[in-house]
Amino acid sequence: MADESILSDDFIRQLIDVGEVDILVGVPTHNDAKTVEPAIRAIQEGIVKTFPRERAVILNADGGSNDGTPDVIMGASIDELHRSFNGYTLRTLHAISTRYGNNPSSAAALRTILAAAELLRAKACTVICPESANIEAEGVANLLRPIYREHFDFVAPIYRRHKFEGVLLTNLLYPMTRALFGQRVREPYASEFAFSGRLGSQFLNRHQWSEEFKDYDPELELTVTALSDGCRVCQTFLGTRSPTKRQARDLVDAMRQTVGVLFSALDGTFAMWSGKTASQPVPTNGPEFELSVDPLRVNRKQLKEMFSAGVIELESVLKSILTSGTLSELQQLAKAAEDEFRFHAELWVKSVYEFAASYHKAVMSRDHIVQALVPLYRGRMFTFLVENRTASAAEVGKNIESLCLEFERLKPYLLELWNGRK
Amino acid sequence: MPETQDALWYKNAVFYQVHVRAFYDSNGDGVGDFQGLAQKLDYLRDLGINAIWLMPFFPSPLRDDGYDIADYRSVHPLYGTLQDFKDFLAAAHERQLRVVMEMVLNHTSDQHAWFQESRSSRDNPRRNWYVWSETDTPYRSARIIFIDTEMSNWAWDPISKEHYWHRFFSHQPDLNYDNPAVREEMWDVMKFWLNMGVDGFRLDAVPYLIEREGTSCENLPETHIVIKELRAKLDREYPGRMLLAEANQWPADLRPYFGTGDEFHMAFHFPLMPRMFMGLKLEDRKPITEILAQTPEIPASCQWALFLRNHDELTLEMVTDMERDYMYDSYARDKTMRLNLGIRRRLAPLLEHDRRRIELMNGMLMSLPGTPIIYYGDEIGMGDNVNLGDRNGVRTPMQWNGSWNGGFSNADPESLYFPLIQNPVYGYQAVNVLSQKRSEHSLLSWMQHMIRLRRSTPLFGSGSIEFLYPKNHRVLAYVRQQGDQAILVVNNLSSSAQAVELDLRRYKGKILIEMFGGNLFPRIGDLPYLLTMGPYQFYWFKLRRI
Repeated sequence: MADESILSDDFIRQLIDVGEVDILVGVPTHNDAKTVEPAIRAIQEGIVKTFPRERAVILNADGGSNDGTPDVIMGASIDELHRSFNGYTLRTLHAISTRYGNNPSSAAALRTILAAAELLRAKACTVICPESANIEAEGVANLLRPIYREHFDFVAPIYRRHKFEGVLLTNLLYPMTRALFGQRVREPYASEFAFSGRLGSQFLNRHQWSEEFKDYDPELELTVTALSDGCRVCQTFLGTRSPTKRQARDLVDAMRQTVGVLFSALDGTFAMWSGKTASQPVPTNGPEFELSVDPLRVNRKQLKEMFSAGVIELESVLKSILTSGTLSELQQLAKAAEDEFRFHAELWVKSVYEFAASYHKAVMSRDHIVQALVPLYRGRMFTFLVENRTASAAEVGKNIESLCLEFERLKPYLLELWNGRK
Repeated sequence: MPETQDALWYKNAVFYQVHVRAFYDSNGDGVGDFQGLAQKLDYLRDLGINAIWLMPFFPSPLRDDGYDIADYRSVHPLYGTLQDFKDFLAAAHERQLRVVMEMVLNHTSDQHAWFQESRSSRDNPRRNWYVWSETDTPYRSARIIFIDTEMSNWAWDPISKEHYWHRFFSHQPDLNYDNPAVREEMWDVMKFWLNMGVDGFRLDAVPYLIEREGTSCENLPETHIVIKELRAKLDREYPGRMLLAEANQWPADLRPYFGTGDEFHMAFHFPLMPRMFMGLKLEDRKPITEILAQTPEIPASCQWALFLRNHDELTLEMVTDMERDYMYDSYARDKTMRLNLGIRRRLAPLLEHDRRRIELMNGMLMSLPGTPIIYYGDEIGMGDNVNLGDRNGVRTPMQWNGSWNGGFSNADPESLYFPLIQNPVYGYQAVNVLSQKRSEHSLLSWMQHMIRLRRSTPLFGSGSIEFLYPKNHRVLAYVRQQGDQAILVVNNLSSSAQAVELDLRRYKGKILIEMFGGNLFPRIGDLPYLLTMGPYQFYWFKLRRI
């Protein structure tokens, strides 16, 4: 078992009082008093409606809120549900809260939740984002049900997104995890997901929780663990995604938390992903993909400029990371006029794979490698926005699918790079 | 009459429910009788109970186990004679055992002479003793109770060519309590037995005495008037006697049956019983504390009657649909165990022969507010036989020893009223009084000890209760208090060991004395009082300031 010193004596006492549970809902918070209440209501309603017999606990892992967030959670009574639709549980529905530190940390929050889940022998666990103003009881139930009733190990969400929202996800994270691990999980990096007690324990005991990694979001690695360990994985549609604090992060940090984590996870899972040659859809509850196409104003020009500047400024770094052919193509592209600029799929996929291989070989500081990918991503984003400017949802979906297939087609290229043959 | 003249004797009693037919057969005809029951009174005295509740023993066609009475002033010949009953009653009183008998006010057997007269013609003087109608349309709002067997509350009488009203089986026509002559006659019946010395009545099916159009025909104000009338007569002419209500209702609906202390002395707390089983299975105190929180205060002279099992199915009428489904899934997966809205099983099989759970449930029975009633045979962990149909599977002969017919009767086994339980787990060779008497660690010995403890203080019968609500919801903890005496009861409803912290600050300075062994536990201080408890363990602590 992992070191449990992160759990305070008071929290241990709370866990003793709760005892073994069937359902655990983790709510990581930091100054979310204004938004957390609807999410808690949805969680309570989801449990009352779908798991009224089960032993359940809502666990708040707080990162040092000073706005009374834990009090809001602990004070949320289910009596209101009884009044509104005669909902009740046969058992006590517990709510417990602990402060894991004075600063928010996704890793510390998840670690606290996982440790509690293991100690409580929780069968099905889910993590719900406190900013999820749109989460509904049915969504909470849909996350937990496949784990508790259908013996899945991991449930990833699917959100209704704007076609230009989550470009990093649609242009790198989704297609690359799909190509490598062979399963089409649309949202491998989500703030809401569910997992079995078995997977939770496995991840808790395997993941690097040391100080060095405390600023890294572990969620994507949890997905990779599920995909690489032969777990039963499915997806569930949760509706429109609320804006989260994560989205407000700067791009470099976002790349570290996502692409950096993904690249890092490839090392330990090579034996598994290297043998996968195609991808399969995973069981999905609800639509597999839903995009909205409302008009959205995006400053594309700046993206292209930042790409060109980055390629020129980082030439020496990119030389160490990329093959000469790829670098040359990128340098040509950097000189292209805006109306001629097109960062095509093959070049993008090759670039990403070369970055992944260089990360694996640690040709330089791994953090620098991830940072160096940022201007390239901006160039790819520019092209994605241009190509899909007037596209319908179906057309955007087709374009993303086409990119995914490119990632799958070029996977042997990654393997060659990985094994040092290029 | 027992020596103690305490008018509130029922509050501190421990009742034992027995059917004379099932207890002991003195004449070898295969059916228990009053002479046999009298011979076993020492057993009941030694068990520690001090009141016996007798199930119906009147002449009856026995189509509903005697609840279909054909003559209210006699004893069924199978059980003996009226003199046998009198002898039994005297012998019980000699041993300080009170005797409460069943009285079915609501209905008679269709074989009763009153009904025979009533149906003989529409102008018979007793016609109006029952509820008749030309059609089967009145009182449509009244529910059908025996949903597995009855389609309507009306039955067609081919003789007088009208429908008669029955809330239970169609062979049990309801008496018409709007008729003063019926009320007078039933009081006269009660006086017949009171004059003999019986200590009280368990009045069966009381909510249904009166019918009114547009109502559920249950709990009507007019019904309460009938009961108040009976109670006033009882108090005036037979002080110290007791009336116990059988009214399977929610606590708030039951409360009026106590009136202002001028209706029933006691009433069964039906909703609590299934919730005790539910709490145990859920390993959560919630169902128990919730129903007790909904239970209204009752007059000081009144008392709840508590039970784990009785002669009927474990009724699930007073639970929600979701709770009922859970109970069926938990305690009656085999559908043959289900009957009406309930489960026809005895205590030990319900609890899977688990001694720890049986003890815990009895511990709660004895320590929650009310008077406990033990169903015959449950003190030794008798089993049941669902194959006997209806509720007969929980009414099999008492298992006295491992010999011929379990020591119940010298008759041929084939002539017993019901076969004995014979399976290897619960059969009379494995579960019987004699073998358990020989072991101080048997369930029977434990029950004796438990009953003695319960009766060692009037606090359990009359004291207040305060729930402690420790954060560990698997633990049900409460303090019973009367005057300056206090007892702390802590029950672990869980199948695993638990740690629990109790807020006992208001008892700071007192020490805990564990009542079973008499050992001291640490003094209560400012900090939460930490207890560790084994699976299904419970404690009773006296809180003493020394």
